[in-house]
Amino acid sequence: MKRMWEWVKRRLSRDEEWREEIESHLAMREEWHLGRGSTEEEARAAARKQFGSPLAAAEQVRAVHIRPWVESAMQDAAYALRGFRRAPGFTLVACLTIAVGIGASTAVYSVIDPLLFRRLPYPRDNQLVSLGYFGPVDSNEFNVVASYLEWKKQQTAFQAMTSMRPGEHCDLLEGTAPVRLDCYRVEANFLKTFGAAPARGRDFTADDDRPGAPEVALISWGLWRSAFGGSEAVIGKTVTVDDQPVRVVGVLGRDFEMPQRGEVEIMMPERLDTRQGRARNASSFLRTFARLREGVSMEEARARMEPLFEATARVDVPAELRSEVRLVVRGLRDRQIHEVKLASWMLLGAVMGLLVAACANVANLLVARAAARRRELALRAAIGASRARLVRQTLTESLMLGLAGCVAGCGIGWALLRILVSLAPEGLLRLREARMDARVLAFALAASAASALLFGMAPALERPRVEAMTAWSAAGPARTLFRRVLVAAQVAISLVLLTGASLLVRSLWKLESEPLGFDGEHVVAASLAPRTRHYPTAAARTAFFNELERRLGRIPGAGSFALTDSLPPAGGEMGRPYSNIRIEGHPPVAQNGGMVLFRWVTPGYFETMGIPIVAGRGFREEERGAGEPPLILSAGLARRLFGREDPIGKHIDLEASGHWCTVVGVAGDVKNSGLREAPDPEYYRLRMKTEAPGGLDVAAVYRTPLDRATLGRWIRREVRELDPALPVTIASMDERVGRLRQQPRFVASLVTVFAGLGLTLAAVGLYGVLSFVVAQRTREIGVRMAMGARPGKIALEVEKYAGTWTGIGVAAGAAGSVALGRAMRGLLFGVSPYDAGSLIVAAGVLAAAAALAALVPAWRAARVDPAVALRHE
Amino acid sequence: MKRGDRLQGSLDLLVLKTLQKGANHGFGITVHVQEVSGGLLRVEEGSLYPALHRMEREKLIAGAWRTTENGRRARFYKLTAAGGRRLAEEEANWASVALGVERMLRPA
Repeated sequence: MKRMWEWVKRRLSRDEEWREEIESHLAMREEWHLGRGSTEEEARAAARKQFGSPLAAAEQVRAVHIRPWVESAMQDAAYALRGFRRAPGFTLVACLTIAVGIGASTAVYSVIDPLLFRRLPYPRDNQLVSLGYFGPVDSNEFNVVASYLEWKKQQTAFQAMTSMRPGEHCDLLEGTAPVRLDCYRVEANFLKTFGAAPARGRDFTADDDRPGAPEVALISWGLWRSAFGGSEAVIGKTVTVDDQPVRVVGVLGRDFEMPQRGEVEIMMPERLDTRQGRARNASSFLRTFARLREGVSMEEARARMEPLFEATARVDVPAELRSEVRLVVRGLRDRQIHEVKLASWMLLGAVMGLLVAACANVANLLVARAAARRRELALRAAIGASRARLVRQTLTESLMLGLAGCVAGCGIGWALLRILVSLAPEGLLRLREARMDARVLAFALAASAASALLFGMAPALERPRVEAMTAWSAAGPARTLFRRVLVAAQVAISLVLLTGASLLVRSLWKLESEPLGFDGEHVVAASLAPRTRHYPTAAARTAFFNELERRLGRIPGAGSFALTDSLPPAGGEMGRPYSNIRIEGHPPVAQNGGMVLFRWVTPGYFETMGIPIVAGRGFREEERGAGEPPLILSAGLARRLFGREDPIGKHIDLEASGHWCTVVGVAGDVKNSGLREAPDPEYYRLRMKTEAPGGLDVAAVYRTPLDRATLGRWIRREVRELDPALPVTIASMDERVGRLRQQPRFVASLVTVFAGLGLTLAAVGLYGVLSFVVAQRTREIGVRMAMGARPGKIALEVEKYAGTWTGIGVAAGAAGSVALGRAMRGLLFGVSPYDAGSLIVAAGVLAAAAALAALVPAWRAARVDPAVALRHE
Repeated sequence: MKRGDRLQGSLDLLVLKTLQKGANHGFGITVHVQEVSGGLLRVEEGSLYPALHRMEREKLIAGAWRTTENGRRARFYKLTAAGGRRLAEEEANWASVALGVERMLRPA
């Protein structure tokens, strides 16, 4: 290494040396003239005149040194090109292999890097944590105001702790039409805690955050540009948000993002009210974040928070849930990526496997080619080519191959990235940030260039031997062993990829064919989220829902129709603790039962959604006038509460509130917490005409012969007449379900593509080895044929040879696949990670590909003509 | 340049012959050639260095930095074994060329 550096340094200083030599000549000539009585000036002029231009001389000296080098480099390049033209198949496959390896790994890494490895856009991002209670009510940690206020007062682990309300929509009235925006309410120290500051205007102050203070807002950079034309005049301007005057005090930075990765357009102070009663503040939800003190580790912070958590949980968490709630303190990045982490690692692993397979393939091809060319190299050495020259020439060849592959690889990578970005489901990837990652590109280039150089040069580095000139010993045994191992490794990698793909595809099938418990075909849903402000009283809400039902129900030819407050199968709906349920005449139910979901629906709901009533009856229109709303249980909940007993007619108190209602029916189970999870227990209550349920969110569902667009127009018109400021979201049920299948479909299709590429590479590698072996043994085969061996037997031998090495690869790959299966358990659905079927399918595909790859060489071997083979070479 | 090319064959011969007497630097070579030839021959200084480097690449001579008697740094060239053989060839070659030209000019 040191010697190499010295060499480089010497090279660099050579120009200097040449100039110095000429200077020294001029100086001596000057001295010579001075010795003959010239003045200094005369001496200098004479010396110059005699020498001519020193620059031109230096230039000529350089040409002496450089020209032969350039000429031989050009010669090498031309020679390499000629070689490539003679072996177009080899050249194409090698280039493509490099290109695919580079392209795929770069594109996938570029997409995954911002998720897994990138720094968060906050200074000292590793100090930031998300913390709170974690329980069956939410998939992320949450907090309640009462507990948070105590934590904040007493904690010792953090420099700062801050909070925000869960995001919601708000309507900005700017001009004539209201715009629905993403809004967050945050504590005054929110931005400071994250180390962020507004790009324009000012941050919130403690004063803004007092209850009852005049409303102020920060707006996002995007909103500032789009709605206010990026004008500075927006600072201090009063705008209307949800019918309230709000003064804009600042603009968020262009790169600011919410810690839980939500979109934000308007941010307002949350104004927690400490004077409210504890009970009230204990049911008021928050997300809490904090910044660790210098030198405090995550574990230490967790340990310090534990007593505080114990103390507040005793007061603020309902007794029934207490044993199911724990404290979570985790890094912000962990919180951000936990849902997609596994899928991302899976993709990254798949693509790295592909890169390794590609490198192995390049190595294999080059070694094969080199072995074939040992005679040529030996010949050239014999007629006087220096070893350095031979090394340089193979180097040139490898470099040119690598370069062509790199150029194509960049193209493939770029195209693949475009495709990934357009295919990727919302939420899996940070699409905005996906761009070609220079580091990965460099890494992939280096990896494939290194393998090309290393294996391309191997034959030139070894001393050319005279024996190599005879056809008999074209390659040593070590070399072919190495190549077989390479092939076996490729087979193993492909098998792992194939098994992974097969597992994912099978879970996807299972997922697609999984009964949802309802029939989404021809069902269209319109979701509305009216503003609380517009319907402040229970009476106003009831009137609104009745009118909405009347209007939406009168659309002609729309089919069956119902109102509900929420829709399956997406999870995330709020539920109630199972342990709150009382059954008349029964002992109390088991504790720790998790959550029970509920929906408020109109009588048409079951028919419209295609949910069967398995016992008792559905709701009736005439029951909606008065009394306690009747109850329908899901089959799962009925089984849990009553076992084999008949639930119909039983009285149940759902919330330990003294309101007893009657079970009139049992409905079939419905997927209600995502597609993967088993259905949560659930009950349905009838929406009464006389009293609306507490929440304002409402969805209208239709089982309709109309197409979505036509029905959508009618729905929008009716809603507009009722409340012009109320936006409507319309989607078919199939679309809503399809969205949940997007991510598994995306991951499965990507891994399948990689597996296909890996398989192709392995087949190409095997083909290369076999062709080479057959070519090498042509003479031997010829002799055997001349002595009466049957062509079929020869072909079979080649296939058997292929089978041996494929078998070894398969065995290694099977072990890898089992390990892989365990790692990707979380991505699978309804398929065991050790699913033998997937492994067998993968091995079968691989074996078929191997047999196919061996076919041509085997055929060639069987067709060897003894007469030609014996004359050959 | 042109002239240098034409003289190249003889330039190599002059340089090699000079170095046969001992290692010398470029300037020394020009002085030596001029003195020994009694001023009849003059090495063109601009072409001398490319020629020296070319001959060094061909391993006819070997160069190294040394200090002159006047305490100046200069690159000294000395004849290699291959250079000695080449000199013998060139001398013989030159002799026959000179003889041929002589006969042409003064036919017997």
